[in-house]
Amino acid sequence: MPNKIIDLSVDFCGVRFLNPFMLSSSPVSNSAEMIARAFEAGWGGVAYKTLVSDRIPIYHPSPRMHGYHYGEKRLIGLQNVEQTTDRGLQPNLRDIAWLKKRYPKHIVMASIMGFSNQEWADLAKASADAGADMLELNFSCPHMTVEGSGAKVGQAFDLVQKFTETVRGVTKLPLVAKMTPNIADMNEPAMAAKRGGADGISAINTVAGISEVGLDDYVPRPNVFGKGAMSGYSGPAIKPIGLKFIAQMAKNPELALPLSGMGGIETWVDALEYLLVGATTVQVTTGIIHYGYRIVEDMIEGLSDYMARRGIARVADLVGKAAGNVHETGEFDVMRQGIATYDLDRCVGCGQCYIVCRDAGGSALSWDAEKRRPNLDDDACLSCMVCSFVCPVTGLISFREMPNSWKRKPTVTLG
Amino acid sequence: MEPGFTFDQAVAEAGRCLLCHEPPCSKGCPAGTDPGTFIRKFRLRNVTGAIRTIKENNILGGVCGVLCPAARMCEKACSACGIDRPVRIGKIQRFLVEHAREIGFNPFDNPRYMKPLPRREKVAVIGAGPSGLSCAAELAKNGVGVTVFEERDEPGGVLRYGVPSFRFDERFLGHEIDDLKSLGVEFRCSTPLRGRGEVEALLKKEYQAVFIGTGLWEPMRLFDDSGRGEGVFSSIRFLEAFRSGNTGEPANACSGKAVAIVGGGSVAIDCARVARKLGARDVYLVYRRSYEQMPAEEDERREALAEGIHFLLLNQPVGIVRGDGKRLSGLRLVRTQLGGEGASGRRKPVEIPGTEWILDVQTVVEAIGNQAPAGSPDLYPGVTVTGARLIVADAGTGRTSLPGVFAGGDIVRGPATVVEAVADGKAAARAVMAHFELQTPNGGEK
Repeated sequence: MPNKIIDLSVDFCGVRFLNPFMLSSSPVSNSAEMIARAFEAGWGGVAYKTLVSDRIPIYHPSPRMHGYHYGEKRLIGLQNVEQTTDRGLQPNLRDIAWLKKRYPKHIVMASIMGFSNQEWADLAKASADAGADMLELNFSCPHMTVEGSGAKVGQAFDLVQKFTETVRGVTKLPLVAKMTPNIADMNEPAMAAKRGGADGISAINTVAGISEVGLDDYVPRPNVFGKGAMSGYSGPAIKPIGLKFIAQMAKNPELALPLSGMGGIETWVDALEYLLVGATTVQVTTGIIHYGYRIVEDMIEGLSDYMARRGIARVADLVGKAAGNVHETGEFDVMRQGIATYDLDRCVGCGQCYIVCRDAGGSALSWDAEKRRPNLDDDACLSCMVCSFVCPVTGLISFREMPNSWKRKPTVTLG
Repeated sequence: MEPGFTFDQAVAEAGRCLLCHEPPCSKGCPAGTDPGTFIRKFRLRNVTGAIRTIKENNILGGVCGVLCPAARMCEKACSACGIDRPVRIGKIQRFLVEHAREIGFNPFDNPRYMKPLPRREKVAVIGAGPSGLSCAAELAKNGVGVTVFEERDEPGGVLRYGVPSFRFDERFLGHEIDDLKSLGVEFRCSTPLRGRGEVEALLKKEYQAVFIGTGLWEPMRLFDDSGRGEGVFSSIRFLEAFRSGNTGEPANACSGKAVAIVGGGSVAIDCARVARKLGARDVYLVYRRSYEQMPAEEDERREALAEGIHFLLLNQPVGIVRGDGKRLSGLRLVRTQLGGEGASGRRKPVEIPGTEWILDVQTVVEAIGNQAPAGSPDLYPGVTVTGARLIVADAGTGRTSLPGVFAGGDIVRGPATVVEAVADGKAAARAVMAHFELQTPNGGEK
């Protein structure tokens, strides 16, 4: 019997993608040579690294990036001061044309950034002429060295609308406006982009941050010859922020635009989470900086198997499935309560649960020093679940609802 | 010496630690090592603090990190065993001590280190082995003037003259000796004490207390072949020659030859591996009991097997065979079987009558244990010793029958581990301080 290949294709802003997995506009989409290899590896599309006019030369700070590690775990975050493309406009346009000729079924979304209204128009036209399938308007780079560009635009909502209108005026290609997370409510700039004629929204660009400071030289990283900066922070550590913004926009009935999600995606699970809160496509850079293009194989296989297991025929059926479950916290039913419950047969006796329950929880555990086992006073458990986060045995500690009649003990008062 | 962890390896291994409440590893060390604390400090990037925790507790922290049979001590209790395998505590400990040197951190030359007020008392430490060194460090940290008397050219005792260099590097030892010197400990090497009562005489001179940690340096012998020809070594002579680089004699005895090592302990394993490295064609480890009863550590036994050493178990050596010109040509053996439990709790080997045979070897190394030298009690006639010339000392304090004289390590315990000797040295130092407090209740500060 032949394999029944799961169809992962999606329609995003009227454009058909082989699968929802895209390279985001970044060093991983810097040239046709690189992107061709990514397409061969399985990526469905690319946000081609941001094009700029040749009027202002782009110089990259050196070094460009800094890896943020956690213990022996590498790159839980990545700090970068990478700029837009530093290649000439013409070589990039030729690369786009080559890619479209060579990979007609793969989607090339040209990312552009003008430093004036006219440049937005010129770059849009040039990209369309080169054969780009769609355009991504970069309103969001948090660390542009050119004044009045990048996230500075994304934080000035009237400019978002104005530049989108400008581009809308010169091309019929689908337009995706890329948002900065360095604001409070993403719906405001997203709505501005919609008013300007955008067909979709992509988010998030990197989060402005300082990941580390040199202890010898007092310079935030990366240390660019004695100077640091507040610059773009990305990677697994920012996934919760990205999911939040996508959900925020997905739940806005006025916006009602297709979304492309990104921020900390490395696995099919991360990608699926973005789909579930409302993204139709997902974009990846830091995951590729960590592991290379090959990770898409696991995204495709993992998502396909998940869909087969759940009997889901189309990716579109997953999009936004969880958005309806994102509520205001005031809507919670706080009358229902539960506690942590322990499967002590699997306990290894480290006692970390005891430490954190005492120091950060409800002091609901006692410690049997001889047996090296925790003992839960059910009635004192706050169900904060911090014990389960430090337990080295997955699933040993779980949550269990208590009956309605159950009452929690009040916290001990001294004095 | 086996390479230690790199920084990345140490971080990864420490990342496996479960950071236990009441860490069981910290209860598993005779010398009071606290891995639960130093690994936590390392994990929280308090690297200097981790080093301080190790070194303030045990001046030979690096030595123990390399040589300790951690698998049956701190690591045995590790909660990570419940996940997969124990955290390699010994390796992390060694890494931290090596890292201290790399970053130039000395916990005893640091504002956090409370330099003790110098005291009037002086203590003589006899023997610069593990127990003596740890006792000296502990006393120096209490402001006591310490002089270590060592009969050999360099301090270290068994660490320098016993353990082969492929297991323990003497440069590594040198760094820890430097730490002792930085605490103000004075070393008098090449200073053997020989005269009757000479140890006790030190008490009457400038020293208010004496610690004896002279170890066991006289080989037990199997064959009374006083008129023997070439080819038979004691483990002490064999290893010391290898250690000092003067390998001529053992090398000649091993190169291209068949060698029998008699014994089943760690020293026998060391000898077997040395013989192999010196080019022996075949090395037989001859042991009268079976594999399970061997006192050598499990990992040592496995490594020796992996290096191609033949374990000849359940055979009792009964004689040396010499051919023409008294050349050694074989080891006479009798096969044994295990009988009931003996005094040591291990099953006793029982010779099987009529099973004598000859193992064709050209060299025999006896590694069946060491004992206190024959004349050793004469150095301290006032101190009670056992029939085996071991010093009788109180387990928790090292107090001997003679007030002011303390003892520890192998000369008290018989053959034991480095970390037990360290524990003895520390305990004796505490007892010495208590002894001084009794004598000068108002404190002995100068």
